[in-house]
Amino acid sequence: MLAYFAKRIGMMVVTLFLIITLTFFLMHAIPGGPFTSEKMLAPEIEEALNAKYGLNDPLWVQYLNYLKGIITLDLGPSFKYPGIRVNDLILDGLPVTAKTGFLALLCVAALGIPLGILAALNQNKWQDTAVMMLATVGVAIPSYVVATVALYIFALQLNLVPTFGLDDWRGYILPVAALSGFWLSFIARLSRSSLLEVLGQDYIVTAKAKGLHPLSILFKHGLRNALIPIVTVLGPVVANLLTGSFVIEQIFALPGIGRHFVLSISNRDYTTIMGITIFYAAFLMVMILIVDILYMLLDPRIKLADRNK
Amino acid sequence: MNNLNQKIDPQQWAPAKVDAGEAEFIAAPSLTFWQDVRSRLWQNRPAMFSLAFIILLVAAAIFGPMISRHTYFDQDLKLSNIPPILQLYEVQNEGQAATYFFLNSGNFKLYETTEDGELKSILRAKRKDLINKRHIYEFGERRIFVDYSTLPARIVDADENAIDAYGTKWNKTYWFGTDSLGRDVLVRQLYGARISLTVAFIATLVNFFIGIFYGGVAGYFGGNVDNIMMRIVEVIATIPLTLYVILMMVVLQSGFISIIVAIGTVFWVDMARIVRGQMLTLKNQDYVDAAKTMGASTWHILTRHLLPNSIGPILVTLTLLIPSAIFIESFMSFIGLGVSVPMASWGTLTSEAVETLRSYPYQLFFPAAAISLTMFAFNFLGDGLRDALDPRLRK
Repeated sequence: MLAYFAKRIGMMVVTLFLIITLTFFLMHAIPGGPFTSEKMLAPEIEEALNAKYGLNDPLWVQYLNYLKGIITLDLGPSFKYPGIRVNDLILDGLPVTAKTGFLALLCVAALGIPLGILAALNQNKWQDTAVMMLATVGVAIPSYVVATVALYIFALQLNLVPTFGLDDWRGYILPVAALSGFWLSFIARLSRSSLLEVLGQDYIVTAKAKGLHPLSILFKHGLRNALIPIVTVLGPVVANLLTGSFVIEQIFALPGIGRHFVLSISNRDYTTIMGITIFYAAFLMVMILIVDILYMLLDPRIKLADRNK
Repeated sequence: MNNLNQKIDPQQWAPAKVDAGEAEFIAAPSLTFWQDVRSRLWQNRPAMFSLAFIILLVAAAIFGPMISRHTYFDQDLKLSNIPPILQLYEVQNEGQAATYFFLNSGNFKLYETTEDGELKSILRAKRKDLINKRHIYEFGERRIFVDYSTLPARIVDADENAIDAYGTKWNKTYWFGTDSLGRDVLVRQLYGARISLTVAFIATLVNFFIGIFYGGVAGYFGGNVDNIMMRIVEVIATIPLTLYVILMMVVLQSGFISIIVAIGTVFWVDMARIVRGQMLTLKNQDYVDAAKTMGASTWHILTRHLLPNSIGPILVTLTLLIPSAIFIESFMSFIGLGVSVPMASWGTLTSEAVETLRSYPYQLFFPAAAISLTMFAFNFLGDGLRDALDPRLRK
């Protein structure tokens, strides 16, 4: 157990180190410094700026400094907002992104799995057809299309929800719906097929023959096994909810990390791009580790160490 | 229990003839694997419709921009934001032919057309009465007012009576209307389809070759090679790939080639895993041993025996990679990292339409519909292929 976690965390550190290195050198491969794209700066000013941000040092010194900064959890200054550090930007956007992301995840799990169960228990009846149709639509239509169409219909035409901002709870409805649409459909499809497979197993027949209550069969024997493949995809779901939030936050003008990220791309604010990428990567890897622990709790048969084989 | 008394024809009690030859008779025609797959796919209606749709789409994307009399970059700022469906009004003038025009409800301007919806030009207002929110147009003797003090705007005559519309016509000049710079939406749609599909196909092909090569080598050689290569894949798989496409686009600067490179070099991990899995199961088959005994080279065994036999899952992964490539491309274009103007892809078209969403909501319809239908089609085709190639997987 402990050895496994030590190994996993070790691999995480290695991966993170690779990501930091890759990101750093990718960002420094871009021709021109961060200040060359500005309106003609006086050479002295540019020189002073470069000196202030340590951009005149050789690349490897900058790299080491950056690594040192990351170890002390400092992602460096933003190049576009004077006096603001990337840490501040992330901390500023985190509550919004975390809240919408968490609500979307809740939506995915609390609606997707029951829908899948409903479909599986009524296989080939109208409930099944309806859920599967909804799921097909949800998988095929890109989230930003859903978001803009929903924005037009519910915010601009019907005035049911605000067009932007999160001042009251209604502001969350559309972003969360648009963000969770794809994964809700995906999870519904997955839990349907997974539950169907489990319900076809011999031990379910045995349980029925023993005269167990149908609900107890469903929850104790069916779902517990059917949930395993669903838990495995939860890690990637979290990852995609996060990256999906770039566009959703843009469309609904939510002041989250995704919006800072997209803005920093159009501003060519390299330290912010680097910092947010690394933050995302670290966050995701922690999430995947948590999902793996959950996975083990759910299915004691799985020895974690064997999973990589 | 009536049927107990039923008489049974003694003939039916006679022993059946035993004919060894007949038992071996194969009634159904013998089909090869691919014939079987084809017939199963053919019976799958949604998949066949999707295939037909994709073929039509590709043909339209190739030939559409050639046939059209507009080009994707020609701007006509006087004729911007024209809707595809025109509500025509008619003005009679003594001694002269009637004038037909329509009101663009987004910008309150009048445009002259022919009787059947061919666009002529923008009409110049005689005077703009901004205080009372009305534009005054003169047609010879007659005066017409565009009143936008109450929305939607209406057309009234001098006595404040609303003028009845002459009829509703489809825009004959710009079938799908024009965008905010007066470019033909239809041709930009088709051109966008061209870009989006090209990016998706090439990026998928690049992923395909990298994935096959990587997975094939790892799976075939096994052992330590496999161990190391799969560790690398694991590391890559934990990196959020969308982030890396974004980073690559920032580094390479947005453009057509860079988006292909960015998408093409990142999403091969699934393909590599699937090919490796196939290789691991297939390489212990007897025919591989036979080939080895006969002195076939590794390359020959890989390309002639192992890859053709794992083509099924590869094909399915490939079809499902295309919609995700289309999606990533449009996603990138949507946040401003896609192809550069005046080129168009479905993503840029959608984001352009979003900018004018309040005044011209219908402009969102065409790109949104195009991308959604295409995603549907590829998803259905992929599912259909999977069912056809491996009927056991059918749920």
